[in-house]
Amino acid sequence: MTVKGFFKSNVFKCLVTLLCVLLVSGIFLTVMNGLLAVSDQERLDRAINKIYGKPVSYTELAVADYNSNATIEAAYKIKDDGNYLVKSTGKGGFDNGTITCWVVVEISGTSISGVGKVVIDSNKGQTQMAELKDSFLNQFSQGYYDGIYYATSDGFFVSNSTKSSNAVCNAVNGALDFVNAQPGITGGTEDVYAEFDYIDNIETKQTSHIVDEENNCVIFTVVSKGYNNPTNFTSEITVNAQGVITAFKIIVNGSTNDSYEDKVVQNAKIFVGKNLEGIKAILNVGESYPVYPGDNSNKFPVSGATESSYTVYTAALFAAANYDKILTVGEPELPDGGETEEGGNENE
Amino acid sequence: MNKYKKITLDGLIYQNPTFMLVLGTCPTLGLISSAFSAMGMGLTVVVILTLSNILISALRKVIPNAVRIPCYIVIIATLVTFARMFLEKFVPDLYDSLGGFLALIVVNCIILGRAEAFANKHTVPEAAVDGIMQGLGFTVALTLMGIICEFFGKGSLFGLQIMDFKIGMLAKPAGAFLVYGLCIAVFTFVIDNIERAKRVKANKLARENLLKEVA
Repeated sequence: MTVKGFFKSNVFKCLVTLLCVLLVSGIFLTVMNGLLAVSDQERLDRAINKIYGKPVSYTELAVADYNSNATIEAAYKIKDDGNYLVKSTGKGGFDNGTITCWVVVEISGTSISGVGKVVIDSNKGQTQMAELKDSFLNQFSQGYYDGIYYATSDGFFVSNSTKSSNAVCNAVNGALDFVNAQPGITGGTEDVYAEFDYIDNIETKQTSHIVDEENNCVIFTVVSKGYNNPTNFTSEITVNAQGVITAFKIIVNGSTNDSYEDKVVQNAKIFVGKNLEGIKAILNVGESYPVYPGDNSNKFPVSGATESSYTVYTAALFAAANYDKILTVGEPELPDGGETEEGGNENE
Repeated sequence: MNKYKKITLDGLIYQNPTFMLVLGTCPTLGLISSAFSAMGMGLTVVVILTLSNILISALRKVIPNAVRIPCYIVIIATLVTFARMFLEKFVPDLYDSLGGFLALIVVNCIILGRAEAFANKHTVPEAAVDGIMQGLGFTVALTLMGIICEFFGKGSLFGLQIMDFKIGMLAKPAGAFLVYGLCIAVFTFVIDNIERAKRVKANKLARENLLKEVA
């Protein structure tokens, strides 16, 4: 085909038409984006209007994350009532998506007295947002106990939107952790596991345990940090007086889809009947722990859920390594208003 | 029959995208657990469908046949992106409740289907009326099923709690699927009966005319 022929051909006409359509669309959207973009200030004003129903004065705070399940986007101290307004993005939503919430953390004196209000700001990849109505969001302000983390396993979920509910719980928990770490705020969550072994991959403030004196064993509710793709797992692990894991149950599964969830449940069975040495032998963890040992898919009965299996593995390692400290030191004190029960996700 | 009347009746009844053509099933099943979300999605589709029909009809003689589908997709995606910006700016509650389904309008079979089956063969006014009527047919169907699912599944209407009795399954996609199927059955039954009655009446009239002629 000659150059002149090309310019007269249908191919050239098609290319020009497509490019023109793309160009016009691009210009149109650029202009519209300039006109309709929602600024951060506008989002903040909307949130304040939803929460307070009127403009309020506030001081902006420097942000930092204190919880691996949430990212703090912005935080303000409200001058009118002394409370904190935190914009927090919770991870672990549907299809590994996130939900960003505005959380009012109420302050009484120098400590947190409750969650005032939770308002959803935006989300990524969630399809059942219409299910998360005010009745669900109001649960957070009605069920606050100092030091207790909100979890779907404790009833903070909406049927048909469990993953999205989990992301909201994580957002609220992240906001509480952020405020707890603010200067001048006292109390909050005591980290009773700070001196324990193998805690690098454990959310120690969200982990709890009870001692079963009748059966002479410790029942841990361990929250292990998600590794790479999976989010946090909550596992209930029973360790007897000989340091052997006698039961391992995954309460909150942080895998990214159903296939991985099933596989990690299968893999968790390998921990039952093993003590610390047995658990360590699975991945040959040396003194340099925690190190993700690369492709360990062949170390577990079912391959294909390596990261999730590693996440629950660290929970098993933590429980098996520390049972003797619990039996020695006994149960830590419960927070005011808190009530620990077997199988829960409480924090102490 | 007036062509606009035919387009109107087709969009609302005889070629209703939800009940007769069974198109746009994904947002239908995902959103009819809430009447507000269902109606919001329907009205958004009305706007996008009408605008896409108008644009595609206006450009039907300019766009070469070989690249028509990519061009339609770009036009529809542009309109959906614009709708998302507009809703986020002015109707944030609806924007939040529609969630991921709003972006999925780009691949909604109704919009691409009407562009391919109608807009690229008809004039701009006809395409505009078709877009409005098909969109309204979709909206009415979604809202109707949304009302049924929300009322029986949650005991509320448009978020307003009315009764405590509820059948939880109806507020979930599985329940929505059942309601969808039942609505299609009822709709088809009614339309069939109306058509049959029309045919009987026409046959009777024809027979009487024939008898008169014979007599």
